[in-house]
Amino acid sequence: MKIILEQLLNGLTIGSFYALIALGYSMVYGVMKLINFAHGDLFALGSYLGYTLLVFGSTYATVTFGIWGGMIAAMLIAAIGIGIAGTLIERIAYRPIYSVGRLPAVVSALGASIVIQNGIMVVWGPRPQAYPSQVVPSIMLNVGEFKITLLQVIILAISFVLMGLLYYIVQKTTFGAAIRACALDRDTAALMGINIETIIFFIFALGPALGGMSGVMVGMYYRKISFIMGWNYGLKAFTATILGGIGNIPGAMLGGLLLGVLEMLGSTYISTAYKDVFVFLVLILVLIFRPRGLLGEKVAEKV
Amino acid sequence: MKRLKFLLVISVLVLALGIASLGVMAADKLPVVIGLQAPITGAAAIEGEMAKQSVEIAAQMINEKGGILGGRMIEIRIADDACQPKAGALAAMKLITQKDIVAAIQTYGSSVTQPASDIYEKFKKVNIAYGATVTGLTERGLKYFFRTCGRTDTQGAFFADEVVPLFNAKKIAIMHDNQTFSLGLAEDTKKALQPKIDAGEVELVYFDAITPGESDYTVPLTKLRETNPDIFYFTGYFPEAGLIIRQARDIGITAVFVGGDAAINEDFINIAGLEYATGCYQTQEALIEYFTNPEAMAFKEAYKAKYNTLPSSPWSVYAADALWVLAEAIDKSGSTDSDVIADYLRNKMDQFPSITGPIGFDEIGDRIGTGINLYVVNADGSFGIYGK
Repeated sequence: MKIILEQLLNGLTIGSFYALIALGYSMVYGVMKLINFAHGDLFALGSYLGYTLLVFGSTYATVTFGIWGGMIAAMLIAAIGIGIAGTLIERIAYRPIYSVGRLPAVVSALGASIVIQNGIMVVWGPRPQAYPSQVVPSIMLNVGEFKITLLQVIILAISFVLMGLLYYIVQKTTFGAAIRACALDRDTAALMGINIETIIFFIFALGPALGGMSGVMVGMYYRKISFIMGWNYGLKAFTATILGGIGNIPGAMLGGLLLGVLEMLGSTYISTAYKDVFVFLVLILVLIFRPRGLLGEKVAEKV
Repeated sequence: MKRLKFLLVISVLVLALGIASLGVMAADKLPVVIGLQAPITGAAAIEGEMAKQSVEIAAQMINEKGGILGGRMIEIRIADDACQPKAGALAAMKLITQKDIVAAIQTYGSSVTQPASDIYEKFKKVNIAYGATVTGLTERGLKYFFRTCGRTDTQGAFFADEVVPLFNAKKIAIMHDNQTFSLGLAEDTKKALQPKIDAGEVELVYFDAITPGESDYTVPLTKLRETNPDIFYFTGYFPEAGLIIRQARDIGITAVFVGGDAAINEDFINIAGLEYATGCYQTQEALIEYFTNPEAMAFKEAYKAKYNTLPSSPWSVYAADALWVLAEAIDKSGSTDSDVIADYLRNKMDQFPSITGPIGFDEIGDRIGTGINLYVVNADGSFGIYGK
């Protein structure tokens, strides 16, 4: 029993990372019908930005705001930085080739991914870096016979707040309605007076910003970050997007959380060595039996 | 006008002669080019960087003494394999297609070395591995493959016969990552433990794999915790080892942690955090800081002068060794022919004083005699030999 609960909590934590990254894939796909393969590497870049602030700006950030304030500051900086990086990528890698179809854009996305990955390697070096222990909160909570870290609880809370906020923006505000309208039919939305440029700017800033924030949280949680980490997380988050239904915001959240929990339980009760096999088997089954994903309906509003 | 034409012809002639004589001079002192295949990028990029630095230092030392073959300088040409088997085969091809490359030093990671060595063999190029310890690599009947590092079966036996009794361990957990080297070391260790298991002296309570390149290993570690081991041997690489030790201690595993020879280096301490890394052990071939022979001292001095530190793993120094023995073989045999070099290395090189002590090769290309020690991470982050 103890093990199941422990693994459920771990699964939820890793799942919330996947969900935050998956949101970025899903939003971009919803509006642009483009899979932004550079997204995973933007996530890694966010991790490095947060690391830089906490290590080189630690005297300022951590001393001024305290250890938790430092964490929030790092996440904000990463969010802003990666938001800007996301819009830049859109300008440089996607906008010039929209007119020639979707396939060249996917190739361009892969190219952007390689550029960011190697850019990180050039700037921060090929070694894996580690978030130093003095900037990471390390309070342990003892709940009954469990030992969980306060950080894990905070990370879960922040993730759910961010997801809730995004859900609110997209579903309840006028601006969100505009985004959904674009996802349904871009041409008609433009005729209705919606500024497509603004919408594209928004999704390419917000999606990567969420990824950047989860990058900082991953760095805090596991401490080790490396320039190739974006690929692995990107692939898992992409799987989560498909699982939940691509283009669907609640689907991405559900897909991410579900994937995290499935991964943890699968490796606990089946085999650790075949963990990824298990994850991608789920993906294949979904693609065969429910290609639209769990929440993807034929007539669903896609964002 | 005629005069001008004449002058032109003369000057062209003089120029041509000048270039020709320059060419002759250059051919005389053409550098001897040695390829270095290493993981310059990718997950083990730090090992590639150190290998590059070490080999360049070794080349510099040889060149400062006047080079080889009567004054020809050694030039190093690098091919990056990103520590991936596929990229390793490509890197080998890239080196082989350059006609002036005499021999190659290759590479970190047994799963990368294996396909690359097949390619070097096919094109008859002497290749010396510096960080590929899996037992079977040299037992494939290759003619041009050598290695300056040891083998995993010696290390497995060391763990079984020395380390386990040292900690009086009864329940043993072994974790690997399913890659060639790590699985090889795990299985060699299991083999070495088998007599003790059969005699009922010890018990192998856990033997399983993790997936390298991930961040969360709490699931396999939770399983491991339930088996309650006395000693925990992790045979994988340092990026995972750093995460594993922290997550293991956090979920309450108190067993003695011993890493294989790829598990513990500076970056392990960096990733785990010093408070977790202190008191971790490692079975490893000798680190450069413990060598006191003149070649090692000279190497250390030159390396420190340039990089202000020492290589933190033994492998890059074995790469320097590889260049050292290649230079000797080419110089003494007076030839850059692959067969002559291979023959010299296999049959004529005996107790040649290299950076990590005397080197010779046996019939199958293994280095004769490398020592394994148990190292411990001290509280200040340095490494010490344990039990001596």
